[in-house]
Amino acid sequence: MATLVQPADEPRRPNIATADVQLPAVKDYEQVDNEILAILKPTKAWFFGLMAAIACLGLGAFSWAYQIHQGLGVAGYNPPVMWGVYIITFVFWVGIGHAGTLISAILYLFRAGFRTTIYRAAEAMTVFAVMTAGLFPIIHIGRPWKFFWLIPYPNWRLLWPNFKSPLVWDVFAITTYLTISTTFLFVGLIPDIAVLRDREKNPVRKQILAFLSFGWRNSEREWRHFARAYLFLAAFSTPLVLSVHSVVSFDFAMGIVPGWHTTIFPPYFVAGAIFSGFAMVWTIIIPMRRWFNLKHYVTLNHLDASAKMVLFTSMVVGLAYMIEFFIAWYGGIKYEQDYFWNRVFGQWWWAAWIMLTCNMILPLSLFSQKLRRNPTWLWILSIFINIGMWFERFVIVVPSLSHDVEPWQWSSYVPTWVDYGMIIGSFGWFFMWFLLFVKQLPIMALAEIKEIIPPRMKKGHGHHHGGH
Amino acid sequence: MRGMVGVFHELDSTVDTIEELKHKGLGKLTAYSPTPRHELEHAIDPPESPVRKFTLFGALAGVTFGYWLSIWGSMYWPLVVGGKAIASWLPYTVFGFEVMVMVGALSTVFGMFYLAGIPRLTETVGYDVRFSHGHYGVWCECAPDKLAEVEQVMRRHGAVEVRGER
Repeated sequence: MATLVQPADEPRRPNIATADVQLPAVKDYEQVDNEILAILKPTKAWFFGLMAAIACLGLGAFSWAYQIHQGLGVAGYNPPVMWGVYIITFVFWVGIGHAGTLISAILYLFRAGFRTTIYRAAEAMTVFAVMTAGLFPIIHIGRPWKFFWLIPYPNWRLLWPNFKSPLVWDVFAITTYLTISTTFLFVGLIPDIAVLRDREKNPVRKQILAFLSFGWRNSEREWRHFARAYLFLAAFSTPLVLSVHSVVSFDFAMGIVPGWHTTIFPPYFVAGAIFSGFAMVWTIIIPMRRWFNLKHYVTLNHLDASAKMVLFTSMVVGLAYMIEFFIAWYGGIKYEQDYFWNRVFGQWWWAAWIMLTCNMILPLSLFSQKLRRNPTWLWILSIFINIGMWFERFVIVVPSLSHDVEPWQWSSYVPTWVDYGMIIGSFGWFFMWFLLFVKQLPIMALAEIKEIIPPRMKKGHGHHHGGH
Repeated sequence: MRGMVGVFHELDSTVDTIEELKHKGLGKLTAYSPTPRHELEHAIDPPESPVRKFTLFGALAGVTFGYWLSIWGSMYWPLVVGGKAIASWLPYTVFGFEVMVMVGALSTVFGMFYLAGIPRLTETVGYDVRFSHGHYGVWCECAPDKLAEVEQVMRRHGAVEVRGER
């Protein structure tokens, strides 16, 4: 991990990594198993957290049931604003789902060492975030039981979907992303489930874990094919990460609507997704490292390195905002100019300034190394970024539709309690799965952490060989 | 299947054992470790993993199917718009790409399972639960008359436990 260099003014502490020793306080394989598997024991706080998540989910389920009974009109849609909170929240959760595969695949290919202890949590976050995102287009269509019409399959009506529609592209992109993210997560878990199996005393649980680990034995033959397959999965996932949010951005960019019809959208969306995904990783990981006593696994260097990623992607996103304004001015199209003026200084100024403050201005604090190594600040900032990125999608979706080319169409949009219920429900759904995962399976990759610890040697000190 | 399994505390002892057993040609060797170690791979010196062939085949099948499905579907149920091609390859690249990734990745995992010999119904012969925790291991499948010599080699290199299994 060449990027992790200990600053001269910082004393060596257990939670400070250096270039040669990534996890100074982790001495041997047994310690890794014992400390990380200790997290699996349920606690009261965890149980109350799970109950709170299920209560939020209940509110979301009630809102959805009410909407199905009453019709989509209860969700605050009025022409011309027929996309609102549901599409905003869909894009928000797809974005959150980006960091996991970025950390596990792209940073793996780049041999970025700071990913090792956070990637499992990020991968699980990805899977649950995409599961959450996938619900929203189904909720938004109003008649969710017709959803399967989007899937191309031979049918008695001899109908096929419009393959030129970005909505069908979305179906393929999201389905592929969910499948591959889940596969990536599960394949990485197989050796760790074998560890659980071998320690389990309860025969029923042992049998279930034996089934889930596929009889994994840690043999050199298994590791060899596993390492190869993992590399190829990472290679496939890398362009997939970039493609998914590009395809989501086409939902907007393909429409001839002011503020949407722009070629900058794919890279702008991808950078925003990575930015928001990393923020959500902080939202989850920073309390976890404190509550589960994992500060010597997720060290300040890990947080520092991820803060640099957040700072970089924040600046990319900020540049994209500026380019949008510039092109609206430079392009000379009065509808675009009027739209962007309305976005920042008119009807939607408050949403735009929440977005600009949270996504562009506050992350500039990360130029300070002191703040990059301050977990409390990073956690607070992550909440601001989560809010800012939700509002970024609000600013993209609502102002464009409410202030289109024809002035007689101009209108407004006010979400209802059903929309708010669904947002809260989505967080409940996401955290319910995540909390269940935390107590059932290792939240850090045991095998990969063991890989970066020098092995025991008879003839002196161990030495480190790169990842698999 | 008959042989000796040795449990080791240190990596270099395991490597030395494998090298000596291999040099003497005493039997078919399997090494175990809680995490992938290149030292063990070098000692065993196996052929390169052919997982990539599964990846290539899956990816080619996927990209072909993705393009075919969208082109065939458009031809079968044409949505005629003046001046626009009925089947347009550029937007259909989304389908070609996504299905390529999906089938390519799944066939890679299938290849890994097939080549690694999993799922496996039993892991008891030649295996010890310590291999997933913190110890290394060597399983030497050999003829009955070689068992004593294998045990001797393992003990000399510092195995914490050696036992015969069948």
